[in-house]
Amino acid sequence: MLTLTGIQKSFPGVKALSDVDFEVRAGEVHALVGENGAGKSTLTKIIGGAYTPDGGTITYDGAARRWGDPAAAKAAGIHIIYQEFVLFPHLSVAENIFKGNEKKTAFGLIDHRATRKAAEEIIARLGVRIDVDERAGALSVADQQMVEIAKALIHDVKLLILDEPTAVLSEPEVELLFDLVRTLRSEGVGVIYISHRLDEIFELCDRVTVLKDGQNIATRPIGDTDHDELVSLMVGREIENYFPPKATAIDMAAPPVLHLRNISVPGRVSNVTLNVQPGEILGLAGLIGAGRTELAQAAFGVIEHDGGEVFVHGQKIDPVTPRAMIRAGVGYVTEDRKGQGLFMNLDVARNVTGASLGEFVSGWMISGRQEIRAAETEIDNFAIRCRGPLGDVDKLSGGNQQKIIFGRWTRACHAALVLDEPTRGVDVGAKAEIYKIMRSLANEGIGILMISSELQEVVGMSDRVAVMREGALSGLLEGPEISEENIMHLAAQTDREAA
Amino acid sequence: MSGATQTGAPAFGGEFFARYGIYLFLALLIAGGGLISPSFVSAGNINNMLVQLAPLGIVVIGQAFVIISRGLDLSVASVMATAAVMTSLYTSDNSSAPLIVASALAVALATGLVNGLLVTKRNVSPFLATLATAIMLQGIRFWLTSGAPSGNIPPLFKQIGAGSLGGVPISLVIFLVIAVVFWVVLHRSAYGRALYIVGGNPIAGRLVGLSSDRVIIVAYMISSTLAATAGLILAGFAGVVDNFVGRGFELDSIVAAVIGGVALSGGRGGIAGAVVGAAILIAIFNLVLLIGAPVQFQIIIKGAVIVLAAAFYVKKSKS
Amino acid sequence: MSNPALPGRSNLRRALSSNGALLAVIALLILLVLVGAGLNDRFATVSNLTNVFEQSAGLGLVSLGQTLTVLTAGIDLSVGSMMSLISTLASGLIDGDLARAAWVIPALLVLAAAIGGGNGLLIHWLGVHPLIVTLGTGTVMQGVVLLYSLTPTGAMPFELEWIAYDRFLGLPIGATITVLLFVLVALMLRYTTIGRDVYAYGDDPEAARLMGISQRKVLIFVYAMSGFFAGLAGLYLSIRFGIGDPYQGQNYTLASITPVVVGGTMLTGGRGGVIGTLFGVLLVSLLNNLLNFLQVSTHLQLVVQGLIIIAAVSIYIERKRGLA
Repeated sequence: MLTLTGIQKSFPGVKALSDVDFEVRAGEVHALVGENGAGKSTLTKIIGGAYTPDGGTITYDGAARRWGDPAAAKAAGIHIIYQEFVLFPHLSVAENIFKGNEKKTAFGLIDHRATRKAAEEIIARLGVRIDVDERAGALSVADQQMVEIAKALIHDVKLLILDEPTAVLSEPEVELLFDLVRTLRSEGVGVIYISHRLDEIFELCDRVTVLKDGQNIATRPIGDTDHDELVSLMVGREIENYFPPKATAIDMAAPPVLHLRNISVPGRVSNVTLNVQPGEILGLAGLIGAGRTELAQAAFGVIEHDGGEVFVHGQKIDPVTPRAMIRAGVGYVTEDRKGQGLFMNLDVARNVTGASLGEFVSGWMISGRQEIRAAETEIDNFAIRCRGPLGDVDKLSGGNQQKIIFGRWTRACHAALVLDEPTRGVDVGAKAEIYKIMRSLANEGIGILMISSELQEVVGMSDRVAVMREGALSGLLEGPEISEENIMHLAAQTDREAA
Repeated sequence: MSGATQTGAPAFGGEFFARYGIYLFLALLIAGGGLISPSFVSAGNINNMLVQLAPLGIVVIGQAFVIISRGLDLSVASVMATAAVMTSLYTSDNSSAPLIVASALAVALATGLVNGLLVTKRNVSPFLATLATAIMLQGIRFWLTSGAPSGNIPPLFKQIGAGSLGGVPISLVIFLVIAVVFWVVLHRSAYGRALYIVGGNPIAGRLVGLSSDRVIIVAYMISSTLAATAGLILAGFAGVVDNFVGRGFELDSIVAAVIGGVALSGGRGGIAGAVVGAAILIAIFNLVLLIGAPVQFQIIIKGAVIVLAAAFYVKKSKS
Repeated sequence: MSNPALPGRSNLRRALSSNGALLAVIALLILLVLVGAGLNDRFATVSNLTNVFEQSAGLGLVSLGQTLTVLTAGIDLSVGSMMSLISTLASGLIDGDLARAAWVIPALLVLAAAIGGGNGLLIHWLGVHPLIVTLGTGTVMQGVVLLYSLTPTGAMPFELEWIAYDRFLGLPIGATITVLLFVLVALMLRYTTIGRDVYAYGDDPEAARLMGISQRKVLIFVYAMSGFFAGLAGLYLSIRFGIGDPYQGQNYTLASITPVVVGGTMLTGGRGGVIGTLFGVLLVSLLNNLLNFLQVSTHLQLVVQGLIIIAAVSIYIERKRGLA
């Protein structure tokens, strides 16, 4: 029903898709897998009309299509449920479900009562219990997901795209979703199913396509492949060569560089205690919504925590503020590089020196010359490819932008670094470079707390792994215990534990 | 240069225009104006324009600080008028000068502080916060002066506002000194850098340990203080005080800043651009009058220039 | 049919949180009348309250249109100039001749809506903040009206004065029509697609785009409405005063925003509504009236107006948490 041939798409600094062929048949569930940044989201946005491809053809329902807006794709029966929901937080659930398809009275006016009723029916069909009058912004993430699915169901949907739908769902909710997808399949709907969880794919899907670095590496019927083959296709190289060697031994007796004691954030994090030892990379794994980012933010003083203490080199930090943490030698690299990390309005040099301005100030004045010299040093150290210290940062690739952030924090911090998804949106080559940088920082004695949702990264980089589930620490893995399976076991609530 | 520097990427035309187009435009405006009307570039007229530039230039510098912080200061005109009114509240000889300056300064600092606190601590949009303080200040001013100020301005202020030193207007000298000082503050001091960081990306600013509230509050206080200075100069220039000294300066200063490349989205632009923006505005007003067009065309051109200038910078930053 | 499994308290809480601003402003209004009645026995009389109501029609009309732009997280700073332009053109072109009014008035209302729509289109095309765009177009309009006439000119036909001065069943006609227009717009916002799209756009413009809502259509709609109602306010005031004035709208641009924020519509868009604004208008007008009764100088009334804005905005503000 849908055939893509030779699809191309570039963004400034990144080639997102090159020459991708892809096909979905009616009545099949087609899995789309690949590492973060492999091009899955870009591909789905092109299918859904949110992006226009730079080249290639789209054939849908037997005719060539070239839609450039989401409305046209939707009209043709294509529906996407994005990982980031498209919800209006201040509108009601019923209104969100029927946005653009409101029930009308005979006079063409919106019939709110009929809309409510229809919304309740759809919600009932999903088998969940959601108040359709509630504001969408007030729902839990799982319920928001259900609202997103409900939005698709009101249409005569022919092709449904689910982008990481289970990331925020609990086990029973996942089962509910799978039943729903199977029903749709039996009704002849084509489904594109994007997920990192390979076991789900083997349970649910008919075929699987692997994307890597913006290319279609392989499309296989699910019966002709196995878990190991998919992983090696996705990663595309031997993991041993990809990640630098781990620390030979972590001195657990040494005082921790960063010690979090009983940190709680109301509703998000409960009573977490963690030590980061000098020279180690401590991975922090967990599902989305497990509270990892909130823990990091609380530890850095960005959000308020409710009780709990933070120690750096044994020294209690009180009050915990970003400024105090930086003074103590701790840096925080956020997951949202563009929104919360870079100063897009300033040049490379000013981005590099942003956290260590004191170094360049004498009296009131900043020495611009020293800043540029410092920036040149970091450009060399981290092999940042840019137009020099005075170049703009906004048009650089994700990897180079991330290296600038690393340059900023290594100048300012000598004790510990908290890294939230350090390789998100970074291409594979730059990833390897960033891994090398992280390891060499650790080897210099800096303790690194690395939050990551990529299990391979967690397994490949961490000397120890802490796993969070529903705001609490659910386990700590060391040495040979560190495996994807063990991490997932601790991260997801499985039936075995519930029993 | 380091070996990692990318090669083959020289500055291209668009970027050049975005950065220097404003200066080019001023030069063309002056040259073109001179061709149309030779008296436009006469010494007398240029002197005249510079005297007009001084107060607007001083205000626009403060406005630039606030806009770079992602704010907007609609209270500058009200602060100007309130400072101006101070000159007539005390005795009419020079002995009251320190008192006048002190009270004008006090009004300015208080207004800036209130603006800054509302914007940072109470999360009020800058537009509404500074609008509200402007209205309140106007009420206080009317109340202080019972509707219309009476009393005379001490001669010292008249000298500062209208006098000259060796042929150079004193107000112009004051403006130039202020411009240089605040250029240094904005472009060379740690505070200036903090302002750019906080204005460009407040969250990132917080994460590198900056106290964004303090940085923003100081920006509003600078703006008010400079507005008060301009108000005193303008009162001295006119020689008489009314309650509306500086009327229109709030919008003119925003317009000048936008023309000069200070982006309302925060974090971009500088003193030189803002001052040149003010100069362009003054030159256009002057030219409209010189060529004998109705004064209304000043207003129409001003309106068109606002939209065009803003559109120019938006398109540039998108490309 | 309500879901019995859901606790009733949550419904109450939701009703309070979504209408809290409206309830607050109504409560304030009642409080104001009670306090006023206690302070001055001529304040809470039917004749005084009716007068206040009648005098608030002009402000009401401008604020009605302004509410829509604010709901999209925008603002229209050209409404004052629009009022001046339309009122002066009307008065000048009609010059007291009722026959001419029959085509001039509709034509000018179309013009006002068209210029307003042009604002919306410019905002969409240029991607420049509405504040700047409407400041610019408003300035141009002010220049144009002053080119047409520097002083009040012409005359409005006295045959139309009943709109501004007469009463029907004791209710001032102009003000009552204004209230009906508020109700009409409220219904439009609630029961038409474009009305809901205004809220959706104000809530999240990017989500609106992904949902296939035309951003251009929404922007043209709200700014055309804003222009239209500003034009209507200009016409109403020129009928009331018998003549158009090129400076008529000068103080209305900023004044039109106060009732909007007092009525609980957020400058960040997506929340609030015109009924809140209606009560905001009444609250502001009544307060000024009360201060007059109390012989508070007009000067201090300005201070009070500033305080109201700050109080309103501070009360309705959503405290930010964390990084967002």
